[in-house]
Amino acid sequence: MPTYTREQIGNMVDGKLQSDSVHRMLSMPKDPERFEIYLDVLQEKVSWKDKIILPLGPHLYIVQSLADKKWVTKCSCGHIFGDYRENWKLNALLYVRDTEEAMSQVYPKLMAPDTKWQVYREYCCPTCGIMQDIEAPTPWYPVIHDFEPDIDAYYKEWVHLPLPERAN
Amino acid sequence: MQVQHSPVQVMGIDAGGTMTDTFFVRQDGKFVVGKAQSNPGDESQAIYESSVDALAQWGREVDAVYPELDTCVYSGTAMLNRVVQRKGLDVGLITNRGFEDIHSMGRACQSYLGYALEDRIHLNTHRYDEPLVPLHRTRGVVERTDVQGQIVIPLREDEVRTAARELIEAGSKAIVISLLQSHKNGRNEQRVRDICLEVIKDEGLEIPVFATFDYYPSRKESHRTNTTILEAYAAEPSRATLKKVSDRFKKHGAKFDLRVMATHGGTISWKAKELARTIVSGPIGGVIGSKFLGGLLGYDNIACSDIGGTSFDMAIITKGKFAIQSDPDMARLVLSLPLVAMDTVGAGAGSFVRLDPYTGAIKLGPDSAGYRVGMCWPESGLDTVSVSDCHVVLGYLNPDNFLGGAIKLDVERAHQAIKVQIADPLGLSVEEAAAGVIELLDQQLREYLRATISAKGYNPTDFVCFSYGGAGPVHTYGYTEGLRFKDVVVPAWAAGFSAFGCACAEFEYRYDKSVDIAIPSNATDAQKQEAAKTLQDAWSGLAEKVIEEFVINGYKPEDVMLQPGYRMQYMGQLNDLEINSPITSAATAEDWEKLVVAFDDTYARVYASSARSPELGFGVTGAILRGVVTTQKPTLPEEPMSGPIPPPDALIGKRPFFRHNNWLHADVYQMEKLKAGNHIVGPAIIESSMTTFVVPDGFETYLDAHSLFHLKEVTKLAVVKH
Repeated sequence: MPTYTREQIGNMVDGKLQSDSVHRMLSMPKDPERFEIYLDVLQEKVSWKDKIILPLGPHLYIVQSLADKKWVTKCSCGHIFGDYRENWKLNALLYVRDTEEAMSQVYPKLMAPDTKWQVYREYCCPTCGIMQDIEAPTPWYPVIHDFEPDIDAYYKEWVHLPLPERAN
Repeated sequence: MQVQHSPVQVMGIDAGGTMTDTFFVRQDGKFVVGKAQSNPGDESQAIYESSVDALAQWGREVDAVYPELDTCVYSGTAMLNRVVQRKGLDVGLITNRGFEDIHSMGRACQSYLGYALEDRIHLNTHRYDEPLVPLHRTRGVVERTDVQGQIVIPLREDEVRTAARELIEAGSKAIVISLLQSHKNGRNEQRVRDICLEVIKDEGLEIPVFATFDYYPSRKESHRTNTTILEAYAAEPSRATLKKVSDRFKKHGAKFDLRVMATHGGTISWKAKELARTIVSGPIGGVIGSKFLGGLLGYDNIACSDIGGTSFDMAIITKGKFAIQSDPDMARLVLSLPLVAMDTVGAGAGSFVRLDPYTGAIKLGPDSAGYRVGMCWPESGLDTVSVSDCHVVLGYLNPDNFLGGAIKLDVERAHQAIKVQIADPLGLSVEEAAAGVIELLDQQLREYLRATISAKGYNPTDFVCFSYGGAGPVHTYGYTEGLRFKDVVVPAWAAGFSAFGCACAEFEYRYDKSVDIAIPSNATDAQKQEAAKTLQDAWSGLAEKVIEEFVINGYKPEDVMLQPGYRMQYMGQLNDLEINSPITSAATAEDWEKLVVAFDDTYARVYASSARSPELGFGVTGAILRGVVTTQKPTLPEEPMSGPIPPPDALIGKRPFFRHNNWLHADVYQMEKLKAGNHIVGPAIIESSMTTFVVPDGFETYLDAHSLFHLKEVTKLAVVKH
């Protein structure tokens, strides 16, 4: 069973590994302690002390807040989007590209979607401005709630870790 | 003391990344295999050393043997490695303006080619390799030829001159030209080629120019462009290597012309124009060898199986023919080369064994220990159990005779590793766990073999199975058990069978060209005659190329036997079939009808006669021309028959052997000492320095006059009879 060191996983998170190493790490069964080390690496990269429960994106996490043990969605800069069960996008800054002109900033003319059919919605952090996610739906489509992870089952049945305390 | 030697006829070379093997066959069918460390700087040196090693076994010298040889066939991995490691020539590319990205973008499937199935569906593992030609050495020129081959925008010749100068300026050591639809009409592409040559001449340089039309005039731009780039990028450097090898042979008095195994199943000269098709050759050799042996022994239908350290390759020969795949992929590139059709699964004798931490299931591969064998070899530096470790623990492999004793295997180390990594977590004994691994591998290979045969509509009972490859004979019983093959054949020279197969191959060029012929079922004779003429024109063009290749090697055009072929389909269907033409030239409506009948018959044989659909009309998608000249082939060994009882000195001992939850005592024989006609009942292990042939309980084998072992399953009753 291949086991990876904390340093290797750190390099993976930083994008410093060769593609074939990353491929192997992705494809092979994970070593049992991988998730724990992974969380540890992520935790070291953020400036706040709240415990990371699950990463949602390169700059987005579900965390247990240090003060009251409530689980919230949080940006790497420290901005809190709200309860972890709610769609964090509803509390993000939103920029919608729904005109030809706005599209022409990201794609050459005639190579972007017709905005009557498809728009881009860019969700940014209100505090640091980092872009957290982009949707590409039809214009009338409601804000997409990406997924509701079953964290209890994931901790107990998959990675066999004690579930952190949750006050909400 | 001077011994009378039977002359050495044939030499096969397998120049791998780590070892260079040579294989010599004498007229009496005896053979030796030599090994030497590969030498990427000078392959000819490694080949020489390997030859010395092989011939020493007969007490003979290179300078005496090379002049005796009739044939020498090379196969090697240097060209493939050059592509994989992106260490080829700096090539410049000219495309249509607006299509400069065509090569960098490639085909989407290139992002997952070569992956195991679970990774193909795992999108985040997909990635694009570096293109062979970077964008900064790519130029577009204005011209357009439409799908019918009409020139709708003439070529802007000034742009070509500028492009050529810029590409030379950017350091191009070769220029490749690929324009849209050039397979339909190559005029503009040829004009670009000529202008490039003029510019190169004006600058006083010598840079080769490759137009796709001259090399691979096939539809599908990515395939055609990739293949022509390979020709410049990887094959030109190989040509220099092969010249060096050939010169070295000449220095030692060789009279043969060095040939190279090619993807279409023939061998071609190292001087051949289209050398890119020698990029893979190893596994093809076994298929050619099987076809050759099958032809001599009267086997029409053969399932070829080759198990090495990393993969299990199989191919099917039906009615004495193997299938050809016309647009295969290699090194994660789609190519337009004819390739002997083979199925491969990434499970071999060196596959790593792991437990899935969630399900507790044993998982084999997809990666493998390769030449590092397993943890049983203390110097391997490995920390994961491999299939070989299981074999050593169970007594299938002799730890003191691996590669003829070249490396010593540590049984206790393997035992301990299996205990910690596999057996203890599963709550099994080490033997049970190891046997479980072997059974799982055998079951996977068996299922794979069965599925490959039945997916093509055949039944294993109609086939003879050939089993070869270094590790083949250890697994033969396991992956053939219960499939009820007509016969299972293990050549005594299983380890060198691919090299042997290369030496059996014809000296044969094969060129392909896309054509578009569509003839409805109610076509007039005039239309059919026109179709015949179109095909004949394509054949004539290809014949010129084929004959030109042979002339380079000093043959006369009349020495060359030409065999035309074509790819035909019912109009509207997606798959075509490759047919050997029943006629040598086509001119009339009657000739067309003969082509149609040959296709109809083949279709009925491959699918079912009720599936034939002549009412749809007929399309020809490709013209094929093969040219062959007569060459010397290895002869099959012919030993005098002795009785069924092996000579006493062949039995070299007994070894504990674990199978079906029991330790048995297997008789251990030395393969070289067995005589034709000997009959051995399992459990037995037949060892040679190159391979180990396992005959477990419930199986028996006999050695025929041609040094082929035949493996049979026996019921309990049959054992009593014996």
